[in-house]
Amino acid sequence: MSTEAIPAEKPKRNYNALFGLTLLALLVLLWVILSVATSSFASANNISNLLRQGSMIAILAVGQTFVIITGGIDLSVGAVVGFATVIAAMLINAGIPVFLAILITLLVGVAIGLFHGFGIVKMGLPPFIITLATLTSLRGIGLLMTNGNSISINNDAFQVFSRNSFLGVPNLFWMVILVGIPAYVFLHHSRWGRYLFSVGSNAEASRLSGVNVQRTIYMAYTLSGLCAAFVGVLLASRIGIGNPTQAEGWELQAIASSVIGGTSLFGAVGSVHGPLLGAFILATINNGANLLNVNAFWQRIITGVLIIVIVYFDGLRRRGGK
Amino acid sequence: MTSTAQDLHPAPVLEPGRTILELQGLEKKYPGTHALKPVTLAFKAGEIHAIVGENGAGKSTLIKLLTGVMPRTSGEVIWEGKPAALATPHEAMALGINAVHQEVVLCRHLTVAANMFLGEENSRFGILQQRAMVKEAQKIIDDLGFDLPAHVVLGDLTIGQQQLIAAARATVRGTKFLIFDEPTAYLTRKEADQLFTLIRRLKSEGVTIIYISHRMEEVFELADRVSVLRDGTLVGTRNIAETNDAELVKLMINRSIEQIYHKEHFTPGAAIIETKSLSGKGFENVSMAVRAGEIVGLYGLIGAGRSEFVTTVYGRHRKSAGQILWEGKDVQINSEHDAIRLGMALAPESRRDQGLCLNLPVGFNLNLPIYKRISNNLLISGVQEKTQADRQIADLRIKTPTRNALASSLSGGNQQKIVIGKWLAHGAKLFIFDEPTVGVDVGTKAEIYRLFSALLSKGAGIILISSYLPEVYELADTLHVFRRGKLVATHGFRTADHEEILTQALAEKQEKLGGQI
Repeated sequence: MSTEAIPAEKPKRNYNALFGLTLLALLVLLWVILSVATSSFASANNISNLLRQGSMIAILAVGQTFVIITGGIDLSVGAVVGFATVIAAMLINAGIPVFLAILITLLVGVAIGLFHGFGIVKMGLPPFIITLATLTSLRGIGLLMTNGNSISINNDAFQVFSRNSFLGVPNLFWMVILVGIPAYVFLHHSRWGRYLFSVGSNAEASRLSGVNVQRTIYMAYTLSGLCAAFVGVLLASRIGIGNPTQAEGWELQAIASSVIGGTSLFGAVGSVHGPLLGAFILATINNGANLLNVNAFWQRIITGVLIIVIVYFDGLRRRGGK
Repeated sequence: MTSTAQDLHPAPVLEPGRTILELQGLEKKYPGTHALKPVTLAFKAGEIHAIVGENGAGKSTLIKLLTGVMPRTSGEVIWEGKPAALATPHEAMALGINAVHQEVVLCRHLTVAANMFLGEENSRFGILQQRAMVKEAQKIIDDLGFDLPAHVVLGDLTIGQQQLIAAARATVRGTKFLIFDEPTAYLTRKEADQLFTLIRRLKSEGVTIIYISHRMEEVFELADRVSVLRDGTLVGTRNIAETNDAELVKLMINRSIEQIYHKEHFTPGAAIIETKSLSGKGFENVSMAVRAGEIVGLYGLIGAGRSEFVTTVYGRHRKSAGQILWEGKDVQINSEHDAIRLGMALAPESRRDQGLCLNLPVGFNLNLPIYKRISNNLLISGVQEKTQADRQIADLRIKTPTRNALASSLSGGNQQKIVIGKWLAHGAKLFIFDEPTVGVDVGTKAEIYRLFSALLSKGAGIILISSYLPEVYELADTLHVFRRGKLVATHGFRTADHEEILTQALAEKQEKLGGQI
């Protein structure tokens, strides 16, 4: 390329917002179709159920998105969820007050995130490798701790939480809002959010501009670990056991939600609302497919096709302006 | 000439001097921009035809049309007497039209030989004949007089050497018409000389060359004719013997050459920074000072230690000995962060790799160093973010549709303004500019120099690193010459002549200066 101007491009619209809207339209469309096609979809019961199903992946996807925006990836989140259920279960069964048990579990998530940051920043390992290593070893540590058994949690109050609703909305979905709003403010309205984008775009230029690149990377993985541990607490509450093999493959669902939500795996492109919508689109498809009695094997295929289609159209739209 | 070269360049069908390529009202419109207004121009076989013009004048557009990268809006291209569609790059290459770009577009992880034959590999029964290719590639390289090995990985070479390989590659495919787009932007003098030898040699073999450059002296050194583009219009074509610097610059920018190096003198104030016997990786025992209101120029060849010196001052590398005084106080600078906090700003050499977040908006890039200041503990002030960015864009006259346009969509000169401009709001006291005008046209250069004056008038000091002697010569109040990691000479404003400075920078003849960096 020479230094000459590529034709002055049309002012770049806010694609994030636009894309968010079309995703929302897609979600609503799916809901309308399923409401017409099945008698049970629109029932309050099913909607609550759907919100519960989507909530946990949605929270994971938010943390994952922070990491992907920096140009990294966090493969460990599913394993962290499983590991966190074990920690939470053990602590609660040991008689530690629930709030303290939750706090400690969250700190474990933070510690795992810090470890990822350490591996990337200090040891120079690629994010894919360090988080892949944690993915397998965390499951192993969890299995050692439990001897391969599930731990039943003996605390009804802890379990009731995830089944209850507040103002007619499932508590689990409130947790998405609890995470989503601060995450939105953090990513789009704070300088740390800006730094995530700048590091993902050009780490060297960011460093020379006075951005603490290492701290930014630590921060991204710590937040992802924190989100995953939080989801672990929610999952423990929902099913009432601690088991390190749970949440198998959730990391991939989180990544898929993020990507459907417009996050670029090359970094520097992403939002908070996109992954949230992405997670609920995936949840809707699974829910709808169940109601329509679609073979569970087909659901996986449909999900795969959908990822390709949505990301392809997103790419077309982004390139469209040029 | 050896037989190999003969094989590689089939004798041109046209005798020198006949028209090989003719543009008839060639035109390109983008939505909202008239990038190239109808151009009518004939290229003669075997000539070196320079094209000069400011950024955005239409040079790149012209190249893209000729190499089939983009379709034209209207007009005709006549190749060897027949109309050519030039709809795809493949068609252009098949005709014998090739281009060597400013930034190397080759595979850095493959070997030199693999790159030379990329797409035309020599294989037998589907098995690559690697050894034969390396041998063949080495022969071509030797033949061109480049002292480079063919078996090494391309990425291990310097940018300049890679550029030579890119040029060599373009010559081995039956090329009759070769376009060089700013090829010397990243070359050392020695490498540039090798490239010029190659270009002259191609010319002698009947290849037509289009040579695009911002460096006037190169145009005069090489070209037979020169065409000037301004705002998408061809404003003139001259025989090189019948024109001069001043006329070309005037044609390009409608402004005289004295107005470019805009130099205001300020009375120097107190020392902002002082180094005492500073040593580090790549330089030793450097003592110098920068005072408020002065430009300190660092001149030397690439690899002479200038960049290493400033990056150490900027906290990138650890010093091994010596002292840094900031406003008279001894300071330890352990990171860029420390340097920035003290009040330093660095506009790095490579804007793509070090200066910009290309896929993020212009406003974002401009605000990056000051996000801390325009946010409270938690939130960024949206209003300040907008007004700061818009003010910078207006002050610096950055040509961009809005602050939300991606940095990658801007021209090189305007990108460079961002790299420099983002420090203005930051309010730094010491500015370090490392090759600030590489690949930037005369008009933008003048604007950048004007910016220097604005900074000095506010009491800032500037360290200006440049391999382009006229630049440091015309601007620096104090000029330090570096050679092999040492500060070998110091001059005042225009107190030495070019020759003397050059000799000091080169001294022990040119050994393998190109290979160092």
